[in-house]
Amino acid sequence: MPAKSYTDVSDQQVVVFAQEGREDAYRELIKRYERPVYSLIYRMVRDNETAEDLSQETFIKVLNNIDRYRPEFKFSSWLFKIANNITIDHLRRRQLDTISIEGAPDAVTGERIRATAITVASGGESPLEELESKEIGASIEEAIAKLRPEYRACIILRHVEDYSYDEIAEIVKLPLGTVKTYIHRARQELREHLEDLK
Amino acid sequence: MIEHDFPEDFTPIAAELQRLPYMSPSRGFADRVISRIDRLNPSAGIAPVGEKRHLELQQGGRAAVRRRPAGVVRVVGTAVAGVALVTVAAFMFVGVDLLTAILAAGASQYAMVIAAVSAEAGAVVLGAETIAYLQAGALESVLLYLTLAVGLFGGYAGIRTAASIAKRKAA
Repeated sequence: MPAKSYTDVSDQQVVVFAQEGREDAYRELIKRYERPVYSLIYRMVRDNETAEDLSQETFIKVLNNIDRYRPEFKFSSWLFKIANNITIDHLRRRQLDTISIEGAPDAVTGERIRATAITVASGGESPLEELESKEIGASIEEAIAKLRPEYRACIILRHVEDYSYDEIAEIVKLPLGTVKTYIHRARQELREHLEDLK
Repeated sequence: MIEHDFPEDFTPIAAELQRLPYMSPSRGFADRVISRIDRLNPSAGIAPVGEKRHLELQQGGRAAVRRRPAGVVRVVGTAVAGVALVTVAAFMFVGVDLLTAILAAGASQYAMVIAAVSAEAGAVVLGAETIAYLQAGALESVLLYLTLAVGLFGGYAGIRTAASIAKRKAA
């Protein structure tokens, strides 16, 4: 089958092609969402290797069940829902609630500490701006890392991925009121952790 | 952009959250995922030999073959082996002399008492003549033993039968 260009094709349509067994459609879905999914998971587990494994597990699960996708929902919501479930399950198993910007708590060796420490990418700014941006970004990441995993997922989905409260409630399988409470508390905690930014 | 539903003092943080960069998984991520998609790789569902055996043990084996009630057998086996080991160890290392001494002392101390009590009990139940026959060890005594055994089993069977008949009638 010749490779198809999916440039202006909606997620739903790409899914239809994937359901027909087109490998390029599967690859397109991975290409569209590997970074958002990996970033969400990484910010929740703070470990490169674990984030990669969980992201891989997420995509394998979603793409192997692509026939069960219901087009009335956003594909990305379904994908994030699976990602969130897999990550929360992992965190419950590992009890990794508190983590530091300097590296995951179980990191003992220097290599492991470096692997689990957050590095913030720059966006083509001047060296001074880049430094400031990195510092602010690192502070934000650190503040997010201090939140409870449930808060982390909600605040990232809300402020990084731009999901509505209803969509977040659907993704994290929690009542709307709980999601609003989590986001409210997460904002409060972020404010407390980031006094200097205000 | 999401609607502004947060207090003013959260605005800079919200702006920074929006600016957070995406991170990328390692190179070859897509290939690794694709290699595990069943529809694209029919062989992806077939696990390597070692893994397959594990799956059979975990799932297939359990589902296909009913578990045997191995618990009782295992407990009995363990108990027998345990007792045997303890006994052997006792005989080998500690107790051979001690055990022998205890048993010998017990036997020599109480043998006469046990024999006398048994003879008295036997005389009350079976009568003095019968006991005399038994103690004599004659051919008649063997027949008597057999008669007693048959009578014992026959009596027990009779009682069981009578009980079941009575139960049936009551029902």
